[in-house]
Amino acid sequence: MGSQVNLTELARELNLSVRSADGDLDREVTGGYASDLLSDVLANGEPGNIWVTLQVHQNIVAVASMKDFAGIILVNSREPETDTVEKAEAENVVIMVTELPTFELVGRLYGLGITGMK
Amino acid sequence: MGKIKADLHMHTCLSPCGDVLMRATAIVEQAGKAGLDMIGICDHNSAENAGAVMSAGERKGLAVIPGMEVTSREEVHILGLFGDAEGLMDLQAVVYENLPGENDQEAFGPQLVIDDRDRVVGTNDKLLIGATTLAVEQVVGAIHQFGGLAVASHIDRERFGIIGQLGFIPEGLGLDAVEVANSSLREWDYAYPVVASSDAHYLEDVGRNSTCFEVERASFDEIAKALNSEGGRRIVTEEMEDLSLHILDIVENSIMASAGRVEISIELDTAADLLTLEISDDGRGMDEQTLKKALDPFFTTRTTRRVGLGLALLAQAARESGGEMDVSSRPNEGTRVRATFRLSHPDCKPMGDIAETIQTLVLSHPEINFVFQQKTDGSIHRFDSREI
Repeated sequence: MGSQVNLTELARELNLSVRSADGDLDREVTGGYASDLLSDVLANGEPGNIWVTLQVHQNIVAVASMKDFAGIILVNSREPETDTVEKAEAENVVIMVTELPTFELVGRLYGLGITGMK
Repeated sequence: MGKIKADLHMHTCLSPCGDVLMRATAIVEQAGKAGLDMIGICDHNSAENAGAVMSAGERKGLAVIPGMEVTSREEVHILGLFGDAEGLMDLQAVVYENLPGENDQEAFGPQLVIDDRDRVVGTNDKLLIGATTLAVEQVVGAIHQFGGLAVASHIDRERFGIIGQLGFIPEGLGLDAVEVANSSLREWDYAYPVVASSDAHYLEDVGRNSTCFEVERASFDEIAKALNSEGGRRIVTEEMEDLSLHILDIVENSIMASAGRVEISIELDTAADLLTLEISDDGRGMDEQTLKKALDPFFTTRTTRRVGLGLALLAQAARESGGEMDVSSRPNEGTRVRATFRLSHPDCKPMGDIAETIQTLVLSHPEINFVFQQKTDGSIHRFDSREI
């Protein structure tokens, strides 16, 4: 088992910028999932996951909320749409942004003890 | 009001993935062969060949709806269908402004601009295979702003379908319809009207999937009304696609009636312009009252499935093609269903894959003795499952 990390520690370690729900950063991250096909994320994501994606559409908030993810990280400096931020605030879904590409970000998450298998 | 067959989504040689033979007159000719009354031309992120196909269609009396398949930033494909080229050109201007990149012909294929006689008059250098920077809501908004109909493409496919890309259709998106690539999924409830199209990239696929509309004439305005169910216009959903499905349904009744032996006979008599289908069994049969119910279309919807389902549908299919159906049934003796069809009638259903249907029946019900006989203008092919 990997060590327990919460969103505040992730944001600090990886220099992530928080875009929504900054009152919910004490949530523990218990695993990770990376995919841009939302139907796949709905099928395979696990509660407590940090989800890495480049999709910025408001549907990501619904998916994260439905799957009870710890939060979302948008890669390549992609900014969430205005609707997406509004929905995320309403649903208390944490969205963070990094300038890193997916591969690099996932590697660093793994280095912090976050794994993709149960 | 009459029925028209429309395939509203196909590509031309302008799409990098479209075959180079997908040109104006070739497409129009193929559409005629496929029995289509209307086609829609929807290349990826460009509409530069729509006018050529419209002119070619006009010469042959085929209605051609100009359109475009726009790729949103989420990589969702949305069709914009238009009443004339003007609104479509406005959409194209917006799409071009928001479409980065240049095509690499080696990697993705050529993007040929043609005239209405199939001559190549230029190439398009934009990265048409790429995604625009427009969100799906902006794409739908732009299509509507310029007077078009917005249809989510092949939503039953994972790649580039809105459900695959975004998990579900965003609430309030305001689509005019959703499109399925597999017409057997048309009964699903998507909260939007459902159309089926071929998404043809090759000539042989034109018309492979289509939608039947009941409208005054084959025009954009009429299709728009049909999608809205205005003034009696509507999408006609085929209850049964072909005869083999009817056979499966009728035999299902025999199986439910504990038949030990089922005989299926198909007779094709081209001289008499007649197709005769006969299915008889030695099951427990139906009394008069049950038989009467079975023939009532009210009892044949899927939610009230029971003994005799499919009989009314088969009777309807027979009547629609100028034929008829009769059923004789006696309790504890069995049931015999006989339906005739006029082969030359435009509404005569295609046969479907009869061989596969029989094989499915035999393999899934080894306890039943199936006898199948096909008579085609005098030559007889007979199969008895006891003899394998």
